[in-house]
Amino acid sequence: MVDFSWTPRSPLEKALVTGAHGARGIEAGVSLTEIRNFDLVQVMARRGKAADMAKAAKACFGVAPPDAPKALQTPDATLIWSGPDQFFVLSKGGKHAMDTLAPALSGSASLSDQSHARALISVSGIQARAMLAKLSSIDLHAASFPIGAAAATSMDHTSVTLWRGADREDGLPAFNLLMFATFAESLWHTMLDSAGEYGVTISHSEDFA
Amino acid sequence: MRIVCPFCGERELGEFTYLGDAKPVRPVAGASEDEVFDYVYLRDNVAGATSEYWYHGGGCRAWLKVSRNTLTHEISAVEPAAGAGAAKVGA
Repeated sequence: MVDFSWTPRSPLEKALVTGAHGARGIEAGVSLTEIRNFDLVQVMARRGKAADMAKAAKACFGVAPPDAPKALQTPDATLIWSGPDQFFVLSKGGKHAMDTLAPALSGSASLSDQSHARALISVSGIQARAMLAKLSSIDLHAASFPIGAAAATSMDHTSVTLWRGADREDGLPAFNLLMFATFAESLWHTMLDSAGEYGVTISHSEDFA
Repeated sequence: MRIVCPFCGERELGEFTYLGDAKPVRPVAGASEDEVFDYVYLRDNVAGATSEYWYHGGGCRAWLKVSRNTLTHEISAVEPAAGAGAAKVGA
């Protein structure tokens, strides 16, 4: 029998080249950072059990899960609305991974581990909105899409989960994009094309922004 | 055309797919052949107010029931279809 050795790899491992991209000679207007090695669990209420799920989730996270398109930041997880009576749990280090959440939530909800099924990209910078406006029909103006706003939407015909995280340390806005792993490379190239004129800084990180 | 999803808000048409008329009701088990034929094949070609199923596949993945006027394209109401979201079963 053959021994297989499974090593998790980023879906953007080949496409992502760290460093500068696009327009040179100007200060880069967009930063694209892929966040690697996260735990992501989709939680969907079982039929008629939405209230039970909300209660069980509150016991887990200390806050009720979002019941509208929003992303809630707790000390060790981000809860992101993904549809009626369903949300994502995004975390690091296994604290809210599948085997931890399942015992607490599986009575009222169906859980599905999406950790290796999605790619997570942080888009930030002074031109982040201008770049995303080319790809999204969502109004991302600060007045319409404040910190904590989220949307289940499409970019370039691909379903994505978009939410605005806390501003960067320099005060510039930061958006997070969760996309299907198998579409990530395609969307990545589209994003590079959109951002090129503003100058891009590309990196990857093991930590959330 | 834009559809105001009751869960997500106003979104462009590209995020939705059209299923069809929301009026036909599945016949009971043991219904006559004519009733089943009518349910499966016969559709009204309405000029005016219609009720349609749309799927928000590019967004929250909920099924919606849209009241639309085929003459003016005006959308008068959008509501979750039965079963959209665990809490809204039967709505």
